[in-house]
Amino acid sequence: MDRGYMVRGVTRSSFSKFLMWILPWTALLALGLYAAWLCFSRGLNQTHMDNRFAFGLWIFLDLTVIALGAGAFFTGFLVYILKKEELKAVINSAVVLGFVCYSGAVAVLMVDVGQPLRAWFTFWHPNVHSMLTEVTFCISCYLAVLFIEYLPIILKNRKLRQVPSFLVFEFELHKLMVVLAGVGTILSFFHQGSLGGLYGVLRGRPFAFREGLAIWPSTFFLFILSALAAGPCFILLTTWLVSKISRKRLVRPEVFSELGQISGILLIVYTLLKTVDTLVWINGTSPARGFPAYQYYQWKPFGTWILFAEIVLFGLLPAVILLSRRLRAHRGWLLTAAVLVCGGVALNRFVLTIQTLALPTLPFDRFLSYLPSWQETAAFLAIVAYGVLVYSFSFRYLNLFPQERELARP
Amino acid sequence: MFPGIYGFHWSPGFLIFLGVFYSVLMVIGVTVGLAVWRAVKAFRSDLQETIRWKSDFQELSPQDRTCRHVWTGEFKQRVCENQFECWDCAEHARLTAKALPSDIRVEENFQATEDVFGLEVPLDRFYHRGHTWVKPENDGTVHVGLDDLGARMMPDPEVLDLPPVGAKLKVNGIGWFMKKSGVAIRVLAPISGEVVAAGGPEQGWFLKVKPEAGFNLRSLLHGNELRPWFLRELDRLQSALAVEGVGVSLADGGVPVRDLGATHPKADWQLVCDALFLRP
Repeated sequence: MDRGYMVRGVTRSSFSKFLMWILPWTALLALGLYAAWLCFSRGLNQTHMDNRFAFGLWIFLDLTVIALGAGAFFTGFLVYILKKEELKAVINSAVVLGFVCYSGAVAVLMVDVGQPLRAWFTFWHPNVHSMLTEVTFCISCYLAVLFIEYLPIILKNRKLRQVPSFLVFEFELHKLMVVLAGVGTILSFFHQGSLGGLYGVLRGRPFAFREGLAIWPSTFFLFILSALAAGPCFILLTTWLVSKISRKRLVRPEVFSELGQISGILLIVYTLLKTVDTLVWINGTSPARGFPAYQYYQWKPFGTWILFAEIVLFGLLPAVILLSRRLRAHRGWLLTAAVLVCGGVALNRFVLTIQTLALPTLPFDRFLSYLPSWQETAAFLAIVAYGVLVYSFSFRYLNLFPQERELARP
Repeated sequence: MFPGIYGFHWSPGFLIFLGVFYSVLMVIGVTVGLAVWRAVKAFRSDLQETIRWKSDFQELSPQDRTCRHVWTGEFKQRVCENQFECWDCAEHARLTAKALPSDIRVEENFQATEDVFGLEVPLDRFYHRGHTWVKPENDGTVHVGLDDLGARMMPDPEVLDLPPVGAKLKVNGIGWFMKKSGVAIRVLAPISGEVVAAGGPEQGWFLKVKPEAGFNLRSLLHGNELRPWFLRELDRLQSALAVEGVGVSLADGGVPVRDLGATHPKADWQLVCDALFLRP
């Protein structure tokens, strides 16, 4: 039925099967939209957040998807600027993933702000000394860049490219992609860093507060590094997952290995720096603020296991796997490592968002617990559903994996 | 955001932050603007066909873009990055410095025909990789037709959409369209020039063209390149015909029949034709 819209030389499931696939995701998206409408119409009392626990599931989601979406700018940087040609096999998919992650993050931020119609205030009256302002500006600009990068992929659709103006515009835009890749790299570098810096400058929250270089706390650099390490692993995982679901070979095995190796190198640097940062924090920064670090881990369930998990289980272990050529060549090990890396970045963002706010810092303060409301959960799941839907349509009608056609050939 | 807006200060912090922000916005805006401007310029210069081919070429697999000098044994492996525009290729110029195909004169009454696994390959003409040929005539015009493999892909088309007399052809642009049993083929023009007459399968040629000034035949295949090229094309045909997951199976002998499509009812003939006629 929709065969004429698909990439030549590749096969996709029947339209009815595709409908069956997107139906539950559409339902989930609809539920999330209803929850968002409740938040807009009745206010943020629909959530379980309050003035004290102002960052919840949504901010955790934002930080995580933005870290995972870093694969888009990083792959663009590697392909267009460092000329790593072999990664062209996943660049289109990386752009779509990045677009999904960033647009999803912005969408959920709109709900989180509560009054999205006033979102322009942050642009019109910026507080240039705030890390959050930098994040807002950079994410908005980068989302625009991602949209422009996504555009040629859409315009290359089999039907759309028959329109001469689309074809010519796509061709000319693609030639300038190196500029957009460069701009995307600068923007991403700063907003990934500023998202980390956001926590590092919280002087009133010694659990998160860090010393650093000049105006940037150490979390600024750690966020950049962890996002750089997680991005390629997320691309690797999604490519494998899509390959399994669609039962198609999408990229050559060398591409998986290359992504794993890049991630491994960055992850080991991150793990080393994170270890040094943690030691400095335990022995210097935190005690100097009057809080021995062991205190933070007395509040269950946030025991020292979380520190161990962050650094060893989700840092050192996958780094060793990814750096070993032999282990990397084994698909099971490679995927395990990729899951650990993505899980690690999610855990890191969870710790900085939820644990930071849950821990008491003043004598009259108490340990807070927070469980998201169904509206928060539904909006969260709606973003996941939105991502799956955009990616599913893109995979069906656009050329996300240029090697697929060749690999399908006998 | 701007001087005069509440909250704005003429301080280094504001100037640096907003300066960087506006610079980034400007770069993004200029990039998109430049792409639009170039696209408009390309339209005005009538470069759509050239761009279409360049875009299509990028989508072709490395296998389909194998350099012609691989077949003659001059390279073990080489992928063309030059849109098959050999007149603009330094490597091709180097390798053919002694005898450029454009210097080859077609002898009168030269009738030699090579047989490649049952395909008739007349040697008095130059072949384009999109399965067309160009035959220079004594009056300075050229005849353009489909080679034997191309003709067997779609004999007796139900719809034949040839450009009208006077139309301008661009090399590697669209030559003409053919359609049969729901399968549509766009045939690439092997030469730039003006159409002076239209033919058809019955005449043995499809177009008579007056080549544009300065056009040469360097990009077209000729002489000892033809046999290995046709053999490779037969391999590509077999690959395209193979059912997904089965792989290429050995042919049981024989020669390609006149109407290949009719003998492979289960194959996705559109896909097979697209592969052979270089449509990604």
